[in-house]
Amino acid sequence: MSRSRLAADTVAVVVAFLTAFPIYWMVLSALKPAGEIQSLDVRPWTLSPTLDHFERVLTGENFGRYLLNSAAVALTVVVLSALVAFLAAVAVTRFHFKFRTTVLIMFLIAQMVPVEALTIPLFFLMRDLGVLNTLASLVLVQLAFSLPFAIWMMRGFVAAVPESLEEAAMIDGASRPVVLWRILFPLVAPGLVATSVFSFITAWNDFLFARTFIISAKDSQTLPAALLVFFKPDENDWGGIMAASTLMTIPVLIFFVAVQRKLVSGLGGAVKD
Amino acid sequence: MRHARPRAWLYLLPAAAVLVPLFGYPIYMLGLLSVFDYRQAQVSGGEPTSFVGFANYARLLGDERFWSVLGQTVVFAAALVAATLAVGAFLAVVLTRAGRVPGLLLSLAALAAWAAPAMTGSTVWMFLFDADLGLVNQVLGIEGYSWFYDKWVTFGVVGATVVWHSFPLVMLTLYAGIQAIPASVLEAASLDGASAWQSFWKVVVPVLRPLITIVVIQSIIWDFKIFTQIYVMTSGGGIAGQNTVLNVYAYQTAFGSSEYGLGSAIGVIMTLILLVVTLVYIRMLYRSGERL
Amino acid sequence: MKFLYCAAAGVALLALAACAPSTAPTTGGGDEKTGTLRVWLFDEPNRAPKEKVINEAIQEFTAANAGVKVEVTYIPTTPARHEKFKGAFNDPASAPDVAEYGNTDLAEYATAGGFADLSADLTSQDLTADLVKSATVDGKLYGLPWFIGIRALYYRTDVFTDLGLKPPTTLTQLTESARTIRAKKPDLYGIAVGGEYTFGALPFVWDAGGDIQSLDSAESRKGVKAYTDLLADDVCPPQACAGLTGGKTVELFASGKAAMGILGNFSRSAVDAGAAAGKYAVVPLPGSAEGSIAPAFAGGNNLGVMKNAAHRSLAVKFVQLLGGKAYQAKMYDAMGNLPTLTSAREEVAAREPFLKPFLETVAKGTRFVPIDPAWVKIDNGKVIPTMLQKVATGRATVDQATTEAAAAVKSAFGGS
Repeated sequence: MSRSRLAADTVAVVVAFLTAFPIYWMVLSALKPAGEIQSLDVRPWTLSPTLDHFERVLTGENFGRYLLNSAAVALTVVVLSALVAFLAAVAVTRFHFKFRTTVLIMFLIAQMVPVEALTIPLFFLMRDLGVLNTLASLVLVQLAFSLPFAIWMMRGFVAAVPESLEEAAMIDGASRPVVLWRILFPLVAPGLVATSVFSFITAWNDFLFARTFIISAKDSQTLPAALLVFFKPDENDWGGIMAASTLMTIPVLIFFVAVQRKLVSGLGGAVKD
Repeated sequence: MRHARPRAWLYLLPAAAVLVPLFGYPIYMLGLLSVFDYRQAQVSGGEPTSFVGFANYARLLGDERFWSVLGQTVVFAAALVAATLAVGAFLAVVLTRAGRVPGLLLSLAALAAWAAPAMTGSTVWMFLFDADLGLVNQVLGIEGYSWFYDKWVTFGVVGATVVWHSFPLVMLTLYAGIQAIPASVLEAASLDGASAWQSFWKVVVPVLRPLITIVVIQSIIWDFKIFTQIYVMTSGGGIAGQNTVLNVYAYQTAFGSSEYGLGSAIGVIMTLILLVVTLVYIRMLYRSGERL
Repeated sequence: MKFLYCAAAGVALLALAACAPSTAPTTGGGDEKTGTLRVWLFDEPNRAPKEKVINEAIQEFTAANAGVKVEVTYIPTTPARHEKFKGAFNDPASAPDVAEYGNTDLAEYATAGGFADLSADLTSQDLTADLVKSATVDGKLYGLPWFIGIRALYYRTDVFTDLGLKPPTTLTQLTESARTIRAKKPDLYGIAVGGEYTFGALPFVWDAGGDIQSLDSAESRKGVKAYTDLLADDVCPPQACAGLTGGKTVELFASGKAAMGILGNFSRSAVDAGAAAGKYAVVPLPGSAEGSIAPAFAGGNNLGVMKNAAHRSLAVKFVQLLGGKAYQAKMYDAMGNLPTLTSAREEVAAREPFLKPFLETVAKGTRFVPIDPAWVKIDNGKVIPTMLQKVATGRATVDQATTEAAAAVKSAFGGS
């Protein structure tokens, strides 16, 4: 093993340890009995692990339902955002039109506005559309918030595919939609996976809109509702917070590991601009 | 590049259908609200809405605190962008050189940090750095030392938390970018006698430019709007408000007490500042020959 | 659709006023006698006992009112409650009939026109005048106080015995004992106080004769000085304590790091779970005069009827049932919530000696924050913590900090 490889391995392992440590602490705090979390004698382990906190989270109202709702919103957003961003990315890379740069910058501006400032207009918009209290309101708003970044990322992936491939197919008589679907789409699929991870996390971890748009419908709550219960003024329930957070993080990790192989090859595509 | 304009707009249509109503309209409303006296009482119809012209802006720009908060937000955000990029890029290079197992460990740890909700991540870091009950002080043998007392130490700890949350995206993006560079290119560079450092700057960085552009712009936008970590870890802005950043200020003066008119004015100003910064950056790219 | 209209208006460059910002329609609610009564209650980390009492009340209620169902939604307390309530005000269709709300939020909700005036419906409740005030804005009663939380002085019996100290009966004694403890046992904080702990500091100000609206008066300054004297190296060093919130002082006392703390009756379970369990007692927080008690802050929750309620009389009836004596006592047993009705409080006091110091405090009179939307601004703007922290860290004298804070309070009241 070369010296540089050894150095890289060491750095990787040390950083992995440091990065994972707060996550470990989260899981550990979720497993510690109530009195031990806040104790002068801090120990990075526990001799009497308990599932109490997890039990409280899981037996809370409708946890399973919240999980399903969150997954439904996040996955819908991921799929729709991938499709819409793909088309938009094709438009801004394959075509040269007058306001191309302006359009690109508009996508950035959309991300610059502080979200809190938009909630009231969005609230009235959702009310006028009649989707308050439904998961549709969350899908719409999360889609809107994930699109600008997704389009920017997808631009790179589309640009990485040589245009000659599409031209060749068109000469063979394929229509443009067919070329898009049969040729370009599969080629940028890894890129779509990469942007999906981002969209998934954004939608999954949303606290603000979930509590703004879902006012009175119990059945439309998403996971953050299960977590927020444990934050109380002046006496937070740390065990519950950590257990709920652990349960919120696991599905993301599963999603990640499932798409991980595609992810790495996908992110690489963005480079061949 | 083709010049089939109608088709370009056709492909943009779905994105426009989502973004125009969901961003265009609210942003238009943002500008509109910023010239009104618009609070919760007006929203729910308790009191009539009144046009106040630029009074909200005047109130804001006339507030000394706004300027000092703006100043430290810019400094803090700039440091965060630089740190996130440096850490992310360094680890991306480490990843390309590390073995399979250490590399996988690092990737998974980074993914977990990215996936953890910001509220939780901040809470855990706060635990670890607690003056009396925290592990860090216990390990270092400095029980009772508060990491959230001195202004810049506090910014340091909060900054570390932010970087912990945000470096994974940069690391994984750049790593994938490096992976995509054909091995032959790197070999050629090393045959020419370039050191690892030289080949990084001369070969890798130029190829990664488009990706770096994206992560820089995104980091600027995200870090300038930082909220959760500061709010949670310094209980809303630190000792006597010394760690307040712009978004926390916006919450404290406007959104927390439902002053949407004033809040919209802050929103407009923040957007304009970010727009200027981004345009300056894009202009620099154009100067160096790069195109969006 | 409104946005199309507005967009068109924008394009046509019509006068801005032509497209004034949206507001919610005011429906005024209704008074149906059957159907589903919607109720919002705050969720709890450990909700089962609360839910059990509520379900019992619902059973009693539906048995007495034919054709009525009650649907309870448990909503998170902090900070999501604000969005929920605003949502209910802005979209009458989503509004419940009955809601539990924190009494410090009342002024904002009342100004927003969200709750119904119940002055005529809830007469002759056996409430102290102080508590009625905490549910009243501009002479209108916006709900029935359901329970309160009261703070008193927790102290470590083992430490006090060890050092031959007696529980303090004046503020001066409290300060001296705290210094003695810190001097003799440098590992301990004399008393856990915090720069972010507004409701720990206010009793000092009130006891001295000051108030939030006159922070720069001589009396208020005396109170601020008394409190910030504790935020000093010889009691609770500013380096460690200036940034503490009320919740953190509970953790410090519970973990055995502090010899005293200003904690609520609701903090009991947290303390019992920590190292201080079994080694503490509680006395009222003393005032400056011998034998006096510093006025406590009467934070708590009320039950109100929404203005947009569709079942007004049923809602009032439900509030009266759930806020009545029987269920207040049951809620105490389930959750440790201190009853607001004097008769209910006496009943639980008789069988619960732990409550004695807290009830003595209530009997001597409680105080409340200004019931005005300005309080929300003062609270969010962290006016009081900033004042305390500036003094504690030596960045300003008591006079400077209080003058500055008084100006901020004034602008919050006058600024809108």
